[in-house]
Amino acid sequence: MDRLPRGRHGLSPEFVARNQRERLIAGLIETLYEVGYQKTTVSLIGQRAAVSKSDFYKHFESKDDCFIAAYDAAIDRVREQVAAACEAKEGQEWARRVQAGIDALLKVFAAEPALASIALVEGLRAGRGVYDRYQAAVESFVGCLREGAPLTPAGTEVPEATDEAVVGGIASLMGRRVLGGEAERLPELFPEILEFVLTAYVGAEEARRIVSAE
Amino acid sequence: MSSTRPELPREFVASHKRRRMMDAVAELTAEQGYEATKIADIVRRAAVARKTLYDNFDGKEDLFLSAIDSTLTEMRLAVEEACADTESSEAAIVAGLEALLEYIAEHPAASRMCMLEAISATPSSARLYDNAVKGFVELLRARAPEGLDLPQTIEESLVGGVAWIIQQQIRRGDAESAGDLLSELSQFVLSPYSGVGKVGGPGRRK
Repeated sequence: MDRLPRGRHGLSPEFVARNQRERLIAGLIETLYEVGYQKTTVSLIGQRAAVSKSDFYKHFESKDDCFIAAYDAAIDRVREQVAAACEAKEGQEWARRVQAGIDALLKVFAAEPALASIALVEGLRAGRGVYDRYQAAVESFVGCLREGAPLTPAGTEVPEATDEAVVGGIASLMGRRVLGGEAERLPELFPEILEFVLTAYVGAEEARRIVSAE
Repeated sequence: MSSTRPELPREFVASHKRRRMMDAVAELTAEQGYEATKIADIVRRAAVARKTLYDNFDGKEDLFLSAIDSTLTEMRLAVEEACADTESSEAAIVAGLEALLEYIAEHPAASRMCMLEAISATPSSARLYDNAVKGFVELLRARAPEGLDLPQTIEESLVGGVAWIIQQQIRRGDAESAGDLLSELSQFVLSPYSGVGKVGGPGRRK
């Protein structure tokens, strides 16, 4: 995120403050990705964001406070991208919407490995407070997946645990790749993840048919 | 201690004390988290001398890691044993899941320590958790039916999904009834191998 021009720029104080806050959040996400949680300090975040330490404390109480704001911002970004991709397929069948969602999910993480790292790895490792947010994020994707999900070939409803396990399973798989430094390669997993998700609902054969019809 | 107490073999007492310290760290981290758990709390809960703790472990983290490692090994053995004498892949997977859930129900604090606390407590404990997940992925891969054209990563996704469901159950404080998850989790794990909706069980909860 670009820093604002120095001196008289005629920008409103609210705009400046918001811009600073956003820069600090971006600064934390990048610093975290480079040096890890322990070594991320308020000074490093400030340097990266070109915001003074005293201005940092106008926006956040502590590193943890900034971390939580950054986590929420990261998840919002991901959710927006996925929702937009799903909405673009509105009216189409469930499998098509799921496919668009997974594609968007993998692409947003691949484009921004630092975002992938805070969302999928650091969020889980940061401890109790942030874990709640990780869980809420997973839950929100469970809702998207469940909507319009088909009955099983046997005509029964897929158990609720399946929706949750599918989203939890994808998050875990992506997280392990990001931890291994392979965020950029996540889109390569697209056919496998799509097949995994569809298999849990329509069975392996039908899932393979849909995936290979791509 | 009463002087009339019969003498127990020295090794028995020593290993019993180690066990008590590992149990204490599991209970305390499950209750209040790793950070907040102090050596003083552990020795009080385990009813051992501070010196005994340092004779056995390098300190809090070493004890914590030993407790995690020992629990994960037990958990893994319980699952392997259950899988061993089964006639089909399907039966092995269900038996393995059943043993896993049973272990968790019987050891709620230790399971919480390994499956939740370990992830965020220290880099070494996170590594132990990751290695255990990897171990279960390999185990599932070894027991899965052969000759099916499934994604390479399917076992990783399945194990990740099962872990997630169990973690939520533990977080709700319902580890003791982990066994209730058997039917739904079996359906989920078997879906790529045996098809969807084939295993009996309740449908979507209302």
